Amino acid sequence: MKRFPRDNGLGLAFGLLFLATLVGQAFAGNADLNSRRLTDGGDPIGLWQYVTSSDFAVNVAENWQSEYLQFFLFIFATVWLMQRGSPESKPAGRLGAESDEDQLLGPQVKEQSPPWAKAGGWRTALYSNSLGLVMLGLFIGSWLTQSIAGRSSYNNDQLNQFQDPVTWWDYVLSADFWNRSLQNWQSEFLAIGSMAVLSVYLRQRGSPESKPVGTPHTATDETG
Amino acid sequence: MIRFRWLLAVALPAVLVSGCGSGSGDLVRRAADDFTAAITAGDSERACGMLTERAREGVECSSLDLPGGSVEAVEVWGDAAQVRTSEDVLFLRELSSGWRVSGAGCEAQSDRPYTCEVGGP
Repeated sequence: MKRFPRDNGLGLAFGLLFLATLVGQAFAGNADLNSRRLTDGGDPIGLWQYVTSSDFAVNVAENWQSEYLQFFLFIFATVWLMQRGSPESKPAGRLGAESDEDQLLGPQVKEQSPPWAKAGGWRTALYSNSLGLVMLGLFIGSWLTQSIAGRSSYNNDQLNQFQDPVTWWDYVLSADFWNRSLQNWQSEFLAIGSMAVLSVYLRQRGSPESKPVGTPHTATDETG
Repeated sequence: MIRFRWLLAVALPAVLVSGCGSGSGDLVRRAADDFTAAITAGDSERACGMLTERAREGVECSSLDLPGGSVEAVEVWGDAAQVRTSEDVLFLRELSSGWRVSGAGCEAQSDRPYTCEVGGP
């Protein structure tokens, strides 16, 4: 029993942090919405009504989509792009999809390799890109959710401001949709770029996201 | 965890769509029907009682003169609704007391909010 929390510490810790902050967001968002509703002549709503509202859904989904976009792009970009000296980067000689030998495929598969890695053909091809593709799928699903919930929330605002509601197509071309999307994307890209560059020169002892403290700045693809 | 997030990503639109079901639409249509019926019958006091508090401000309830008409289209988004009648455009708001008319006798102004004879922006 004690091994499970230790072996799954990262997943458990961030899963709990996710739930705690989601609950916090629900309370803060409900208070914020009620404040706005009172200002424009509406009545406040309860917490349950808020967490099932489009207002809450769009605020959650717009952040999820940007996180999954970040991971999808990072996973695929690091196949082809490098940052010399960064532990997040491969060295120049390994850029690209790499050989079957490097990837433990074909004759190099191990007995304990995943079944689809051993299967060959389309299964291995699909499994070889499964991490990036799942992140892409989660991004598309979250972004679609943002567009649907965002339209609902936007139309509610439109009607409360005595303006016509818009279609889904109008909404995905609207300033509101792109403002919500781009403000999240820019922060994700800044974070990835900062991490790639700062990890060349700075260290965090014991973290696999950092190089060992004594490693030269020029060393690439080392973690400590 | 990934499966859980997938479920949420798929379930959220379904929740949202189900949240915009016909239940609210029927209530809005009924409120608009009652309002336009009162206008058509010349019962200004009853129509006035169906306005939001904010829309009632500055309104002479004894001589409410609005187009009325029969309800043709209803759009509901959250706690707000727009009803197009054969003669008018109405805006409604859901309050704890039920759906109330927040704007009546409203005319579109291209990219700007509607202007309304009663209530409105």
